[in-house]
Amino acid sequence: MKMKKVLAAILGATMTLSLAACSSGTSESETSSSDDSKSKGTKLTVAIWDSNQEAGLKEIMNDFTESTGVKVDIQVTPWRDYWTMLEAATQGGEMPDVFWMHSDQISSYAQYDDILLNLSDKIENSDKIDLANYPENLVSIYQNEKGDQLAVPKDIDTCAVWYNKKMFDEAGIEYPTVDWTWDDFREIAKKLTNPEKNQYGTAIKPGSYQESWYSTIYAYGGEVISEDKKKSGFDNPKTIEAMQLIENVIKDGSMPEYSVVAENNTEELMMAGTVAMTFQGSWMIPDLASSDFIKENCDIAPLPKGPNGTKSISNGLGWAASAQGDHTEEAWQLIEYLGSKEAQQKQAELGVTMAAYEGVSDAWKNSHPEFNMQAYLDMLNDAQAYPSSKNTQVWYQVLMERMVDSFSGAKPMDQVCKDFAAEMNQFLAEEQ
Amino acid sequence: MNNKKRKKYINRKRKEFAWGCLFILPTMTGLIILNIIPIFQTIYQSFFKTGAFGRGNIFVGLTNYKRLILDGAVWQALLNTIKYAIAEVPISIAIALVIAVLLNEKMQGRSIYRAIYFLPMVVAPAAVSMVWKWLFNTEFGLLNHLLESIGLKSVAWISNPAIAIYSIAAVGIWSVIGYNMVLFLAGLQEIPRDYYEAAQIDGANSVQQFFNITVPLISPTMFFVVVTRIIASMQIFDSIFMMIDTSSPALKKTQSLVYLFYRYAFVENNKGYGSAIVTLLLGVIMIITIFQMVIQKKWVHYN
Repeated sequence: MKMKKVLAAILGATMTLSLAACSSGTSESETSSSDDSKSKGTKLTVAIWDSNQEAGLKEIMNDFTESTGVKVDIQVTPWRDYWTMLEAATQGGEMPDVFWMHSDQISSYAQYDDILLNLSDKIENSDKIDLANYPENLVSIYQNEKGDQLAVPKDIDTCAVWYNKKMFDEAGIEYPTVDWTWDDFREIAKKLTNPEKNQYGTAIKPGSYQESWYSTIYAYGGEVISEDKKKSGFDNPKTIEAMQLIENVIKDGSMPEYSVVAENNTEELMMAGTVAMTFQGSWMIPDLASSDFIKENCDIAPLPKGPNGTKSISNGLGWAASAQGDHTEEAWQLIEYLGSKEAQQKQAELGVTMAAYEGVSDAWKNSHPEFNMQAYLDMLNDAQAYPSSKNTQVWYQVLMERMVDSFSGAKPMDQVCKDFAAEMNQFLAEEQ
Repeated sequence: MNNKKRKKYINRKRKEFAWGCLFILPTMTGLIILNIIPIFQTIYQSFFKTGAFGRGNIFVGLTNYKRLILDGAVWQALLNTIKYAIAEVPISIAIALVIAVLLNEKMQGRSIYRAIYFLPMVVAPAAVSMVWKWLFNTEFGLLNHLLESIGLKSVAWISNPAIAIYSIAAVGIWSVIGYNMVLFLAGLQEIPRDYYEAAQIDGANSVQQFFNITVPLISPTMFFVVVTRIIASMQIFDSIFMMIDTSSPALKKTQSLVYLFYRYAFVENNKGYGSAIVTLLLGVIMIITIFQMVIQKKWVHYN
């Protein structure tokens, strides 16, 4: 009888403990403050979504805490839940003090004046932050319509081509040079395709728009959305020309069957030795560099050129602060520090992303000398801002649906582009 | 004498009533705050064009519903959801009932078998979906690997628009058999052994016993399981969201109503239209459930 009671007590305690541990997957880490006399007792909450970056950022924020005494509490919420979390927090008045902002969502947050802290005046008065040190397209993305700066650029990414050197050697093809064009790409993909050995030249899916076909569109002189964000660029003949090149690569048979492309990530197909060339963003480096197969067989080449030169979609996260918070002054201090040259340099040295601060990304390049990371840095010169509008998701979701029809061969690309342009224009009209 | 007894009786009844209310208070509070009020809020929101962060809501009356009626994707999603429910519910119930009958006999390792069949319910849906997604993978998946090793052609389980929804239903059936089985086991315990002994004496074999004794007498449990499983399967979302990529050619013929709701409400920030879709789902499920309640007299045998 006693045994039963003991067992029941243990079971009850275990259940309660597991309930407590079962929280929704957010993890927290705090910085330590060594000097208590300087401490003002304030603690800032910082929200991010990439757990890969947490350790590095914690180090950088520890430096901040040491010099100012303000403690920092980093909270990681995985990407899928991050925006739901942030929106609920905004509505409930409980926003984190400092958080990551993304170009997809900035318009949504910028439309009201009382959500994101206006940093313009603070930047003017600051000697650590000078907006000229960051790429122009990143700075302008994080401004609202009035030109107020709502976030300080944190990092920058570009895209490039990863290719399997062994497959090139076996086919007797020379590695891609800086001058290769999209037509060269098409030819090389055809030559590298050997269905009997289950090898294909490349794999491009609708979902890898940022790394691949968005850049193609701009390399041909087309656009995804007009500069004033009022019109769709998909009925632009140059856009259609670019998309038809992709369609031709598919029709050549240079890609695996569409169901294979749709079900797998392009880097997975490359790591399996199925595909010779794929398009990857610079944020994929930690993932790719940890694969032995990639280390042995692959290297990086710049994106191919089109009639309008070479273009890489470039995006970057920003550090934003809540306007509703209790510690806006300290939040600004943290952002000022994170955007400063020393913090940006440290971020690059830790090898996670390229720094937004111009000129310090050489440290990033040296984190993996076995690959030609310079290709990514070179793409910064031909950067094209990530296309977005006030309600990007509304037309983007439909764009994915339509592109599945053309990538799978169900409908011709030019018709899909023209039909989608009409739909997108309707959505953009509703935004005005 | 009688008056005193009556007063005591009434007082006791009142006390019992008060205690009863106290005991159900936590559950009722939770139900009202987390379920019932949000239902009305959602229906209310379906008449608005909602802005971000709960601001700028504009009353638009039936506009969302007009859009809904004309939206082919919503009706296709309703069809997909119904296909899923028709595939999951009868098959999982049939299999679970047979397994429950078999596991109701005294045998060695009976508890272990019961635990094994119940295990899929314990695993997180996201983990289940991820593993099955790899099993179903056209190029690298285990299922196709096995098919090819015996000389058959590989199947695009989750990329073929015609069969993807049934592949998802297969995962659903697998994970819910354990739950149904537990409920049927409970129902089977209620059936007195005498009926079976009498039938055996009369010369009935196990199949005849199953159809003439077990099935009619387990109909109350069966009714409960059918009603709750239909309601749950009409709300399918997790596995579709995790297993079907946005680049998949099968998406249009697989996305469910809740999937569309998630897309509009949370990804596109259009909570008004999302609420309208979910209100449609609520209406469909309500009609089906009322229909089932009405015809239960025809087939459910209560003692």
